[in-house]
Amino acid sequence: MDEIEPRLRSLMLAGLAGEAGPYRRLLDELSGLLRAYYRRRVPPGVDAEDLVQETLIAVHTRRATYDAGQPFTAWAYAIARYKLIDALRRGRAHLRAPAEAAEALFVTAGAEAAMASRDLERVMAELPPRTRDLIRDVKLEGLSTREAAQKHGMSESAVKVAVHRGLKALGGKYGGAGRDED
Amino acid sequence: MKTDDLIHSLAGDLAPVAPGAVARRIALGLAGGALGATAIMLAWLGVRPDLAQAVSTPMFWMKFGYAALTGLALAAVLARLARPAVRTGGLVLVAAAPLALVAAMALYRMASAPPEAHHDLLMGHTSMLCPWRILVIGLPLLAGAVWAVRGLAPTRLLLAGLVAGGCAGGLGAAIYAFACDETAAPFLAVWYTLGMALVAGLGALLGSRLLRWR
Repeated sequence: MDEIEPRLRSLMLAGLAGEAGPYRRLLDELSGLLRAYYRRRVPPGVDAEDLVQETLIAVHTRRATYDAGQPFTAWAYAIARYKLIDALRRGRAHLRAPAEAAEALFVTAGAEAAMASRDLERVMAELPPRTRDLIRDVKLEGLSTREAAQKHGMSESAVKVAVHRGLKALGGKYGGAGRDED
Repeated sequence: MKTDDLIHSLAGDLAPVAPGAVARRIALGLAGGALGATAIMLAWLGVRPDLAQAVSTPMFWMKFGYAALTGLALAAVLARLARPAVRTGGLVLVAAAPLALVAAMALYRMASAPPEAHHDLLMGHTSMLCPWRILVIGLPLLAGAVWAVRGLAPTRLLLAGLVAGGCAGGLGAAIYAFACDETAAPFLAVWYTLGMALVAGLGALLGSRLLRWR
């Protein structure tokens, strides 16, 4: 940086005086520095080279804001940083919430989420013992309705009804209407 | 477009830049705004009828001086904020100096007056109008400042908006001083300052949107 700064600064001063040759060398060298700067910082979906070009244009059109008394690199990097922040801001503005977000919200509002987020054992303890075991087997252990029916010596439809009613009871008690479980 | 071609065309388009271009642009924006502000003041309020006598009183110059010096000092701060990577430094203190002086004079005036005079010293007869008038008269100045700065390269937009508004408020209040016939330092310290602060707040509110440049 010790070496770059005085060289770029004198090229810039020549450029401000209207000398195209040094000014061209300045932009050439600056484009390399900017490429390195942006490569590790651009958000996904943004082309680093676009930012390099945008910054070169800004450096050019706003070159009157460079004060000969200040370091050139600090000035140029402040513009580069502004352009980066601008790109990040624009990127955020274009983000769209995924379409399934609303549905996901309803799922977590059900009884399962209430159980997951509260003290599970305490919640389950309030159910009749057999309903509790069925819910644990089907909803937490991951047994199928048929497996649970065999394990407890019940019909499949009785298991479904018991689980459904149990969840509904919990849902009514802990957070919103019970969602139909089938 | 390839970057090399871009550099080639930018360098080909090169014209010398005169030193002082930033200050000139800000002066131009503020001068245009001041014309608009003066026109509003004359058409809406008119100069105070006793202006000829008032200009020989210290109070007139104190009002004008407080507002104008604050506005000019903030214009200098604004010129720094319009350049990337330039610190405002001690200039902000310079801009606050007129306010400190007026506040000290207001306190002295209040302390040396009998309590029954305090209300009039503080409230005058236009306290509910003064800040809003300064806000309205400051609007064209704010527009001029925003025009000037967004053509430069501000990188701290909120701060630049705040200072642009404070500058417009100060210069707007200086123009309003020709219409205003209040005579007490405490009134000046409170209501002129509030008016300038309104314009500054508006500038800060709009700054990050209006000053953004591509």
